[in-house]
Amino acid sequence: MATGTAPATPLTPAVFAILLSLAEGEKHGYLIMKDARAPHGGGIQMGPGTLYGSLERMMRDGLVEESGFSDDERRRYYRLTNLGHSVLAGELARLDAAITSARSLGLLPQGGRT
Amino acid sequence: MKPSATHPGRLERLYALALSLYPERFRVAHAAAMRQTFRDALRDNTLSRRTLIPLVLRDLVTSLAKEHFAMLYETFARPALIYNALVLTGLSTGLALALYAIPQQVLRQGANDPQIALATDLVAVLERGGLVEALQQGALPAVTGGSGGVDIARSLSPFAIVFDDEGRVLASQAQLDGKAPVPPAGIFNYVRQHGEDRFSWQPVLSRERGVRIAAVMQRVNGAHPGFVLAGRNMREVEAREEQVRQMAGLTWVGMLGVILVGTAVFGWYTRPKAA
Repeated sequence: MATGTAPATPLTPAVFAILLSLAEGEKHGYLIMKDARAPHGGGIQMGPGTLYGSLERMMRDGLVEESGFSDDERRRYYRLTNLGHSVLAGELARLDAAITSARSLGLLPQGGRT
Repeated sequence: MKPSATHPGRLERLYALALSLYPERFRVAHAAAMRQTFRDALRDNTLSRRTLIPLVLRDLVTSLAKEHFAMLYETFARPALIYNALVLTGLSTGLALALYAIPQQVLRQGANDPQIALATDLVAVLERGGLVEALQQGALPAVTGGSGGVDIARSLSPFAIVFDDEGRVLASQAQLDGKAPVPPAGIFNYVRQHGEDRFSWQPVLSRERGVRIAAVMQRVNGAHPGFVLAGRNMREVEAREEQVRQMAGLTWVGMLGVILVGTAVFGWYTRPKAA
């Protein structure tokens, strides 16, 4: 049962990668794992145990939910809840502020990726 | 034949076996989906086996530990369970303290009985016959039945010492290193005001030897007032107190063990079950 309590930030890399992946829309487990492994998804090497453990805790916290859609009786699809969207937005804002700060300190090049 | 849901390959069968190591609740909720995810990963041509297998092995180790820890936490860190265990621990601690304190007090108070009788009888004789006169007539050995020279560091016999109103020794059966021990001046002042004091006394001369005396001092009234001190080495009493302390300690540890095991068993049988 979802408790609806937002997790403390910063989020763990796995939770952040899952939220980021599901921001595109509902996905099943392996697609989330694949997104997380990609550089744009955080480059997180996550196995099924970590994925479903994280998903269980995120469902309990009310960040994600099962969509009910399934193309296979064993393949479950997940999507973000409103709380999940706002937690992701908050984490992105936090990271954005950190990036801006790093740029102003000269730790990162100005104007985005090189 | 290509592996499928109905004909799993060897790796998938091994993975399915490994899934049985997860806690029951987690396994029931996610094992099928995890197996499907693993099957999807095996089918993904962009992910080599050389990358996938170490990844899954690492994941098994870390997530098994994490989920078992989470299961233990959910099972045993429930507030009601912890509250009950704390209450029982508090009760058992109180009971163990009582098991120590009550017999200890009974033993300690009982250790005064011969001295109370001795002091009371001697005071009565000294008040009736006069402090100095009665002592000259042998009141001390007559009442105590002893001939004097009790080494209070070794002997367990009760002894008596008579003091004048200034706290100087008039007669003594007790010796410590050849001298009659004298209690602190505060004891004399207290007895002068209240008539009697019962106390545990470690004579200055014996501090390094740890001689402790169960002492009773009473006031002698009359034309020549004074004090009678009756005492007895507490060695045996303190040995019994130590036995009581050890028994109470063992009882406490035993009760804590029973509470721990009972809480663990109760927590396990009332743990959140798989949906």
